[in-house]
Amino acid sequence: MKITALLVLKCESESSDPVILANASDVSHFGYFQRPSVREFIVFVGRTVARRTPSGQRQSVQHEEYKVHAYNRNGLCAVGFMDDHYPVRSSFSLLNQVIDEYQKNFGESWRSAQTDSTQTWQYLNEALVKFQDPAEADKLLRIQRELDETKIILHKTIDSVLARGEKLDSLVEKSSDLSAASQVTYPTKLHPICFFSLMKP
Amino acid sequence: MSAALGKTSYRDRTPEFLSVAERLKKSISSGSNADVSSSSSGKPDGTRSAVAVQSEFNKRASKIGFGIHQTSQKLSKLAKLAKRTSVFDDPTMEIQELTAVIKQDITALNAAVVDLQLVCNSQNESGNISTDTTTHSTTVVDNLKNRLMGATKEFKEVLTMRTENLKVHENRRQLFSSSASKDAANPFVRQRPLASRSTASASPAPPPPWANGSASSSSSQLFPSRQSDVESQPLLPQQHQQRQQQQQQQQQMVPLQDSYMQSRAEALHNVESTIHELSSIFTQLATMVSQQGELAIRIDENMDDTLTNVEGAQGQLVRYLNSISSNRWLMIKIFFVLVVFLMIFLFFVA
Repeated sequence: MKITALLVLKCESESSDPVILANASDVSHFGYFQRPSVREFIVFVGRTVARRTPSGQRQSVQHEEYKVHAYNRNGLCAVGFMDDHYPVRSSFSLLNQVIDEYQKNFGESWRSAQTDSTQTWQYLNEALVKFQDPAEADKLLRIQRELDETKIILHKTIDSVLARGEKLDSLVEKSSDLSAASQVTYPTKLHPICFFSLMKP
Repeated sequence: MSAALGKTSYRDRTPEFLSVAERLKKSISSGSNADVSSSSSGKPDGTRSAVAVQSEFNKRASKIGFGIHQTSQKLSKLAKLAKRTSVFDDPTMEIQELTAVIKQDITALNAAVVDLQLVCNSQNESGNISTDTTTHSTTVVDNLKNRLMGATKEFKEVLTMRTENLKVHENRRQLFSSSASKDAANPFVRQRPLASRSTASASPAPPPPWANGSASSSSSQLFPSRQSDVESQPLLPQQHQQRQQQQQQQQQMVPLQDSYMQSRAEALHNVESTIHELSSIFTQLATMVSQQGELAIRIDENMDDTLTNVEGAQGQLVRYLNSISSNRWLMIKIFFVLVVFLMIFLFFVA
């Protein structure tokens, strides 16, 4: 489950190419000589997907081994390259967060951007690292996961409580045997003959 | 009406009905005249307006029935076409047109049936018509609705069959086509970025699966569109033709939004049900623990009993020990006294 890249673009209309506002990509698992070409590929595909996403829509496209998820909100578009295992919902909530964060940080200044910005946005890089695990991005997923763990723990607890019940049962039997035995050895008055009869067993 | 539609199961007794109606008309009293005229639009001849409303109902019902019959004929034609599709001779345009036409027909017929039902209900509530008429009209409306439902179900089946056929064709096509997209050994796929970059400058061929205009229906293009279709799962799958992919892209957009929302809703439901299960597990745990608490109390009482018994036994033993040890002293004293007596006796006698 891996995110390969996150991009933020500005899309104006179908006719013009979107402008890249922020780019964070993790190409470490490609060979050293392929990295620049992979980056170019990411930029290009991201641009194309963002261009074809209408405003206010979400879209997922399967491309070779990646799924590209795009979310366009009022001209500000976030694109994410994830592999097939990454759940779709988490990716969209992640894109939501990225867009919110970007708007908080940069306000409306991105609307005037005309060329690809090359400065890195620290938040995006951190997000790329942090959200490799989809549970971080998607609260629902995290809640579900924690609930499942709790359920497992509760099952184990119930198993141990059952074992405790069995042990308590055996203890009850032993204690009742003890009290019965002590009642046998407790006559009200001791007499030498009774005493000798007790010595035998 | 029943003559044109062969699937129905009732007899045509219209001539008998007409004769009975004429007889009734002659013997109908003025009371019903007044009632019906007060409910109708104030015409002097109340029965005629009731009959007019009824025949209006009948006309509409017959129109709807005829429409359903025509639609089912078109549906059978569509089914034949869909079954027939081969790999190379795909009459897709006709199929698409026919599908669209049938869909329109079905929606129109649906609306008409709903209207008819409204008319029937208003009739039944307003006018003082005989119960036979009301039951007849309701039966007719129900019959039409059932037939329309049957036609819609057939339509859906035909569409599913068509998609399956097309999937089979796609698989066969992929088996025979040579472009390397599916053997996704990783080195293969990783080298694709290199290859695509060299061709990227030339034309946007590889990435956008909805690229129209590029002529050859290469399977790699169709496969991504299939994937995004599978993701969005539109209800009426309309796939595989590049000319229509842009239009389809629009149609898939809204289902994708919906599926996103639906997946969120589903996840919330799952969370809620998990929480319910957890609560039940907790209650079970509490019951079991309380039951075992009772067991612990029993054990405690048993041990208390044993303790008292053993303590009592110990006291008894101690007393017995005392009595035994003290008994010896007693015996010695008695023996002494006896010996003394013997001595005195012997002294006095001897």
